[in-house]
Amino acid sequence: MATRKSGRPRKSLWSITGPTPRLLFGAFAIAAIGLLGLTPKTMFGLSIAWPYAALWGAVGWGRVGMSLRPMILLIAFGLIQDISFNAPLGCFVIVNLVVYGFSAWIAGMFDVMNEPLVAVIAPILQFISGFLVLWLMASALEDHAVRATPLFAAFLTTGVIYAACHRLFDLGRAPGESVGQTT
Amino acid sequence: MARLSRSGQKPKQRSAKRLILFVFIFGAAALVVAQSAPQIRHVFDPVRTTAGDRLGGGDTISLWARMTGQVARERRIKDLEAEVRELSRYRAAAISMAERLEAYEQILNLMGEPPVRGVTARVTAESDGPFAQTLLANAGRAQGVDPGAIALNEGGLVGRVIQLGEHSSRILLITDFNSRVPVMGEVSGVRAILYGGRDGLGSMTDMPERTGFIEGERILTSAEGGAFPRGLIVGEARLLSGDWRVKYGMARRAGGYVQMIPPPLIDTPVAVEEIPVSDEVAPEQASAAQGVRQ
Repeated sequence: MATRKSGRPRKSLWSITGPTPRLLFGAFAIAAIGLLGLTPKTMFGLSIAWPYAALWGAVGWGRVGMSLRPMILLIAFGLIQDISFNAPLGCFVIVNLVVYGFSAWIAGMFDVMNEPLVAVIAPILQFISGFLVLWLMASALEDHAVRATPLFAAFLTTGVIYAACHRLFDLGRAPGESVGQTT
Repeated sequence: MARLSRSGQKPKQRSAKRLILFVFIFGAAALVVAQSAPQIRHVFDPVRTTAGDRLGGGDTISLWARMTGQVARERRIKDLEAEVRELSRYRAAAISMAERLEAYEQILNLMGEPPVRGVTARVTAESDGPFAQTLLANAGRAQGVDPGAIALNEGGLVGRVIQLGEHSSRILLITDFNSRVPVMGEVSGVRAILYGGRDGLGSMTDMPERTGFIEGERILTSAEGGAFPRGLIVGEARLLSGDWRVKYGMARRAGGYVQMIPPPLIDTPVAVEEIPVSDEVAPEQASAAQGVRQ
């Protein structure tokens, strides 16, 4: 780890960034990945399972508890997803908010920041809950059991990418709170 | 001092935010349920088509291009894209006409039909999520696309336009489970209804009990129901595990462009009562018309 001459570890720019810039940066990443996902996604004749980027925000932002601004962003992303996936308006809003609420609930029950087992299992459970809610809603609204394989592949991609870059969606503390407010 | 949770929020704040979350979720659920009524669902159609125009229209020069001084280059790219679209249309028409001409010359020595009027558009977005499998193409009402237009690519039938914006169209793919296409075998003449399967192949329903398709024969649209013209290539018949399936032709040539042709227009029949009987009609003809009415 990089240290100063005094011996104290040097803090990274991200670690001293407040929750609001982190929230905005995460939202920008979700919007960029989501927009890229609208383009045809084939490589060497194989279609790529594109991640549901908004779920990264739902899982990551919920880890510091509930807040209004992430909810509003998730609603906005949900409505855009509804339009781009040609789903009835509100479906992806529900999925995003349910996962967000679940993430916040788990964060309230367990120490997701410091307990490694919880930190690994909690996002997996949250992604699975999102997968189930989406599959159930799609099946109910389409009047038949929709194909689970492409949905599962997309959620797998979502989970794998989240595991690699979850810090991007870590607010550190609830938006609006100052340093030291959180115990 | 109020006890703080793990997330550092006071219980009162937490319960208020929890309440807001539930209100949002129930609000979204109510919105979903409300859209089960067609009248309410159609209220959101303008929102969808406007968003589709924004996502798939792409006729305007972007703000980024204006800021970075790339307007001329963007305009040139758009001109070239338009030219490619136009040429693509001619190429598709030429291939189609050459094949037809050859067949006609061999059989009847007839001239081929004139090329079908249509609009070629670029596929700007595709959704392969749990909901309907659709494409978004960057041509709409302003480019002459008709409601219910038929979308084709070099391989064959792609789908049908289900939403139409000013500069965009959403196409329901024939691979979707909810899509229903009346089809027939090119050689066997067997009729069936095609719908999207779960494994990338088309499934058949409403087939006759005693006859079947011929393995490998081409599956064409039969034009029953009037939604699709007759004779468009859909794919090839395959017998898998005792079931007749269709290997889609469109999947072989997914080049990023679709041609949208107008749907077949069938005039609504006029009731016999509404046909005016002229005064000059002979008495025998008038009595015949009365007989038809009875």
